Amino acid sequence: MNCQECLDHMWQYIDGELDVASTDELQRHLAQCRECFSQAEFERRLKEMVRRACGSEPAPAHLRERLTKILQLF
Amino acid sequence: MTAGASGCCRDLDPTARRGEYERLIAAHLDGLYSTARRLTRNPATAEDLVQDTMLKAWRSFHTFQPGTNGRAWLYRILMNTYFDAHRKQLREPDVVPSDDVGDLYLYGRARDGDALGDSGNPESLVLSHVMDAEMRDSLEALPTAFLAAVLLVDVDGFAYKEAAEVLGIPVGTVMSRLYRGRHALRRRLVEYVRRRRLVRRERSL
Repeated sequence: MNCQECLDHMWQYIDGELDVASTDELQRHLAQCRECFSQAEFERRLKEMVRRACGSEPAPAHLRERLTKILQLF
Repeated sequence: MTAGASGCCRDLDPTARRGEYERLIAAHLDGLYSTARRLTRNPATAEDLVQDTMLKAWRSFHTFQPGTNGRAWLYRILMNTYFDAHRKQLREPDVVPSDDVGDLYLYGRARDGDALGDSGNPESLVLSHVMDAEMRDSLEALPTAFLAAVLLVDVDGFAYKEAAEVLGIPVGTVMSRLYRGRHALRRRLVEYVRRRRLVRRERSL
């Protein structure tokens, strides 16, 4: 796998969407290429930051109360 | 689930059906609200969207197949409800100039470095300067079709295939929206960092 092929499949790799054979091939390239390795680390970190920034907003208590009241009408 | 794997929730008695429904909603309420909050960019609208989703889910709960992906089913109702009310946002605005799409990484490698003017690993430096609030602002500035794909995959952890089912679009379209959304997000983050450095530089003059 060359750098361009690695970059073409990097997001699928980060998202866990590559099959086992392609994942192995990509990981072998990352072990040998510092630039692609850095890029993969960046993408992984970006994805993690998006998740952290957006993923922890619980439903407010008043919404829960509203929904519970509606449920009682069913 | 108390019904057979092949049956619908209509096979349950009303009390059991309601119990199943309540368990499903309770398990996914926070996730649904979080996604609605980012998608609508507004807390009150997000609450209405979650409530509408819950009502629609109850109305069609008799068709829900126990043993299937209840979470994806709820998210699909949420997305349908949102996009039904905002049909015009289904169009994909061409926010990414076509010359940028050719090489998604060219931008990351060349311009992030320009923006920061640092040696070392410029991409990592960009991220280390970004705060959660800026990340949320940057996400909310994305076209909604792209934002929905990014939220489903990056925040809610859906596989491409599941996100495609939730949005009712082909997997290739999910990938395209996801990639374009991430590309636009990266560009906005670089702009944030660049602007902040300019402000700092002006202040120090």
